[in-house]
Amino acid sequence: MQIDWLTVAAQIVNFLVLVWLLKHFLYGPVTRAMARREERIAERVQSAREREEAAERERERLHERMDHLEDRRDAVLEQAREEADGEKQRLLEEARADVDDKREQWRQQLRDEQDAFLKQLRRQTAEGFAALARKALSDLADVRLEDRMFDTLDKQLAGLDDDERQQFRNARELVVSTSFALEDDRRGRLRDLIQQHLGDGTKPDFEQDKALVCGIALTADGRRLAWSLADYLDGFERKLTAHLDQRQRESADTESETDTDTERGKEAATS
Amino acid sequence: MTISPDQIVLWQWGWLHINATLAYTWLIMLLLTLGSWLVTRRLSTGPEISRWQNLLEVVVTGLRDQIRDVSRQEPGPYLPFVGTLFVFIATSNLLTIVPWYLPPTGSLSTTTALALCVLTAVPLYGVLKRGAVGYLRHYVQPTPLMLPFNLIGELSRTVALAVRLYGNIMSGTVIVGILISLTPFLFPIVMQLLGLLTGMIQAYIFAVLAMVYIASASSAHRQSDEGLGSRGEENGSD
Repeated sequence: MQIDWLTVAAQIVNFLVLVWLLKHFLYGPVTRAMARREERIAERVQSAREREEAAERERERLHERMDHLEDRRDAVLEQAREEADGEKQRLLEEARADVDDKREQWRQQLRDEQDAFLKQLRRQTAEGFAALARKALSDLADVRLEDRMFDTLDKQLAGLDDDERQQFRNARELVVSTSFALEDDRRGRLRDLIQQHLGDGTKPDFEQDKALVCGIALTADGRRLAWSLADYLDGFERKLTAHLDQRQRESADTESETDTDTERGKEAATS
Repeated sequence: MTISPDQIVLWQWGWLHINATLAYTWLIMLLLTLGSWLVTRRLSTGPEISRWQNLLEVVVTGLRDQIRDVSRQEPGPYLPFVGTLFVFIATSNLLTIVPWYLPPTGSLSTTTALALCVLTAVPLYGVLKRGAVGYLRHYVQPTPLMLPFNLIGELSRTVALAVRLYGNIMSGTVIVGILISLTPFLFPIVMQLLGLLTGMIQAYIFAVLAMVYIASASSAHRQSDEGLGSRGEENGSD
């Protein structure tokens, strides 16, 4: 245990110098560097926090915008759906109306065609039947039939009351129409018959009228006494026409009922 | 056998001489200063740092943490003194693995010098912290009768500091020297490794004790001041 006081003094100085040197070269720079690093880290953390906050704000902003857009999209979609529904309804109604028009047109056309056909049928039937009857009656119209016609006219004239008879007598023109040609003797006999009922002064004219089909008519100033198969034929034709019209109406009613049922079925399918 | 490097005189001029203790001390100073300068001239403040800077930062951060733990104060003012104590003693002791090196801490002169520095630093820090009166008051606490004991305690712990370090390091050197003469193979190496451990522990003990003395002085002042203050407040309130 030996202490060299010179060495002690020198070591004290050495130590103090070393303290100064290390403070200058070690502790100071390293401490400052660490402090600076901590500052920079703190700055980075701060800036990262700020960026995070900014990002959070941005995220919230975008979120709000997205919500807004979604709401708007829903509204637009709803509006579009309503418009589409309206448009669809309109188009359906248009199409329905169009179909109704077409059907009505078609039905009208059908009715027209049916009417025309029935009219033609009626006409042809009547004509055919009249022609048939006319031919049959013409074939049968021999002398005896003509005599029967004369008898009929005789009865009709006999059945006239005085006023009517007077009107016939006073007629300026008295025409006897027959469906067949009259020979002279028959014409004379007919004249005698008329004069017998209306007086000797009467001078009937004679003419042939095919329209009577088979018959005889006495016409005086709009008054007429007649017996003709054409009248029967006309009556028959009227009855036939009336019958056909009735059948047509019945078929039309049945058809409209079927249409109503079909439309109900369509509406049920649409709804 | 050489017990102390003081006895190896390298240069002498009259009463002035330079021995191995001083020479090795200067070598250590040169090493530490040069190493620090080389590393700290290019310090990085970014996240990428060099290995050497990392090493120095670990050392400095460790010292600061230790000082903070012991003193419960900010380590800034104490770091140069206490840190240099630790770094110098630790380096001095660690270099014993170098052949023909003799640690300056194995010289009682060096440890005495360091202990004297601590002896001076304790009142210096106390006075700087709390003022001369504040510091000196603790020598007469709790009663003026304690003054001689306080003074003896102050001196004896300084002597203890010096002798503890000197004894440990010198004994390590001596043991290795003796063992080399007895069992020249293997065993001295084990003892030398043990010496490294002892050297580090002694450096730590010396630095921490110095810090404890400094901190206890300043904290004792603070406690006594706070005690006086609170008492004064109580009186005032009465």
